[in-house]
Amino acid sequence: MITGTGVTKTYRQRGGMLAGRDVPALRGIDFAVPRGGAVSFIGESGCGKTTLGRIVAGLETYDSGEIVIDGTPMSPLSPKRRQPFFRRIQLIHQDPYSALNPTRTIQQTLTAPLELRARHTKRPGSWVDDRAEELLSLVGIDPGYVLGRYPHQLSGGMRQRVVIARALTVDPEMLVADESVSMIDVSMRLSILALLRDLRERLDIGLLFITHDIATARYIGDDSELYVLYRGQVVERGPTETVISAPVHPYTQSLLSATPVLHGLERPGEERVVPTEALDERQGDSGCLFARRCPFRTDRCDGERPSLVHGLDVSHEHACYHPRPRGVIPVEAVA
Amino acid sequence: MTIDLKGYGDDASTATLARAPGVRVRDLTVVYRTPLGELPALGGVSLTIEPGTITGIVGESGSGKSTLALSLLNAVQPPGRIASGSVEIDGLGDVVGLAGEELRRARGRHLGYVFQAAQNSLNPLKTVGKQVLDLGRSHGVADPRALLREARALLERMGLDGGRVLDSHQHQLSGGMRQRVGIMLALVLNAHLVILDEPTTALDMITQSTILRIVREVHQERGLTTLMVTHDIGVAAEVTDHLAVMYGGRVVEHGPTMRVLGAPSHPYTQGLIRAIPRLSGDPSEARALPGRPPTLGTLPVGGCVFRERCPERMAVCETVDPPRVTHGERTVACHAVEQAHDRAETAGYGPHRLDTANHRTGREELT
Repeated sequence: MITGTGVTKTYRQRGGMLAGRDVPALRGIDFAVPRGGAVSFIGESGCGKTTLGRIVAGLETYDSGEIVIDGTPMSPLSPKRRQPFFRRIQLIHQDPYSALNPTRTIQQTLTAPLELRARHTKRPGSWVDDRAEELLSLVGIDPGYVLGRYPHQLSGGMRQRVVIARALTVDPEMLVADESVSMIDVSMRLSILALLRDLRERLDIGLLFITHDIATARYIGDDSELYVLYRGQVVERGPTETVISAPVHPYTQSLLSATPVLHGLERPGEERVVPTEALDERQGDSGCLFARRCPFRTDRCDGERPSLVHGLDVSHEHACYHPRPRGVIPVEAVA
Repeated sequence: MTIDLKGYGDDASTATLARAPGVRVRDLTVVYRTPLGELPALGGVSLTIEPGTITGIVGESGSGKSTLALSLLNAVQPPGRIASGSVEIDGLGDVVGLAGEELRRARGRHLGYVFQAAQNSLNPLKTVGKQVLDLGRSHGVADPRALLREARALLERMGLDGGRVLDSHQHQLSGGMRQRVGIMLALVLNAHLVILDEPTTALDMITQSTILRIVREVHQERGLTTLMVTHDIGVAAEVTDHLAVMYGGRVVEHGPTMRVLGAPSHPYTQGLIRAIPRLSGDPSEARALPGRPPTLGTLPVGGCVFRERCPERMAVCETVDPPRVTHGERTVACHAVEQAHDRAETAGYGPHRLDTANHRTGREELT
């Protein structure tokens, strides 16, 4: 179980237009990913979702708040003592093309971490090759086909499976998948999503799923939770299907409205919300962060920033003074 | 061959061109030289684009969609080359036969091209306005002021502060603004055939949605023929009225978007649509397409390029490349579809599958 409470992170800009200014990437995020559970973070570029993933994977520090891994808070620990905890959390990158060393065969890629592991756990050398084959079978590829090959000889989908197999060499408790299917061809995207869902079920691995494509969040398991991030703040969260089918925050509604409609197969929702365009993000930090783009803003929104509260359904939270369900998602067209 | 340049007065904003041109691609084969010999990226593509339509060319990586888009400009770069076939554009003739100065003039004047990731296609050292003037100079526009006026009007039409953008360098503009600058540069010389290559890749969802709306509106207002190349069927579905689905260097299906998506004919299109993660429908009914898209090296020689992933594979698919067959507005290249169609016709049920599902043809009914 991995939990975060009030996690904040601020970047200080060194050069460019924002020089010397503090850019808050995360403004106090609370979340929990249970063992074998799945949590999706969605939002646009700059919302802080990648920073969050890197913090959870131990690749980035946080300014305040706390990350707790299996009951142990991380900030009191020295970086060295944190390491074994963060090793339980493995990051899967967006780009399977650059995540693998092009000069190594898949066998070399997998055996390097496995040999280390064998030494630590005093396993025989023969275990390494067996385990490599086992992991490849687990991620759905034929070891005989890929072991001797180089990354460039594999398709994007296969490469992403190899990356996942490599992450599994250290027996992680959780995978952080940051846009892990964005670069995969559509015809194979679902199979990677199904693999992630499968790993949750079969190995009880938790999943922190980071994406800009909300629809993919529906495919990592029907027990998943969805968090909508906007400028470093969670503006809505709840069970994935609830947030997608009955969103109440105008930002969530804007994102869902912006998802292309598959005309012929679907027809658009009747209450699509169109926000005004992103303005200069250096301003407007008081009040609701979305207020200046929000078509439903009132004076109250400019004054004080709303915090997460729940409505009738306690599992569904939002940070908005004027929450209202709107029919924004496409409806299946009846043929 | 001469290019018809009449209508270009000294004022670009008043220049009038022939109406939206139609495009006829015939048996276009483009090969790339590789260590394994010359391999076909496009294997005899034929595609007819009606004037005034906005057509999505969709396909996965390696399907040949970008090669097709470049061929329309006769801009395939070595190690690739157009081996055979023709690309006939109304008012221009066969662009495969154009070269040198003629070709350069045709691009920009007749053909507007909006590059993928517009941030990489702008000159970082010059303001947008200077780049507009460069464009005007290289195409012999006599009145640069009028050209700038037109550029500003276009930018303002797309919801930007035209004056400010013309005075800006690319680093001062957001991704969505740069993409609009890209569209403006494609249109400012009054091209009536516009090709957009992955116009929204790397843009945020909300920005993407804005750009797509602009593409559609500008297409209608200016009377363009628009081609949009994309790997994202959703993006194509959102704006286009026609869809050409590519696979392994072939156009396997082409028809009105509503009907291609609502009642896909080709087994690849059917499988692809079932595989799209989407917001509507039951996620448990979605299925990935087995196998993987072919690459230049793994493309089967002879027979149907899709057969290895096809649930309807038959003996004939191994040896015979399925011909394009047109029924009404729809064109499909598949043996199974054709046989089913023939059977239905003989049985007197009328065209099977191609026409049984929904008959909606206009988008208006649904929006």
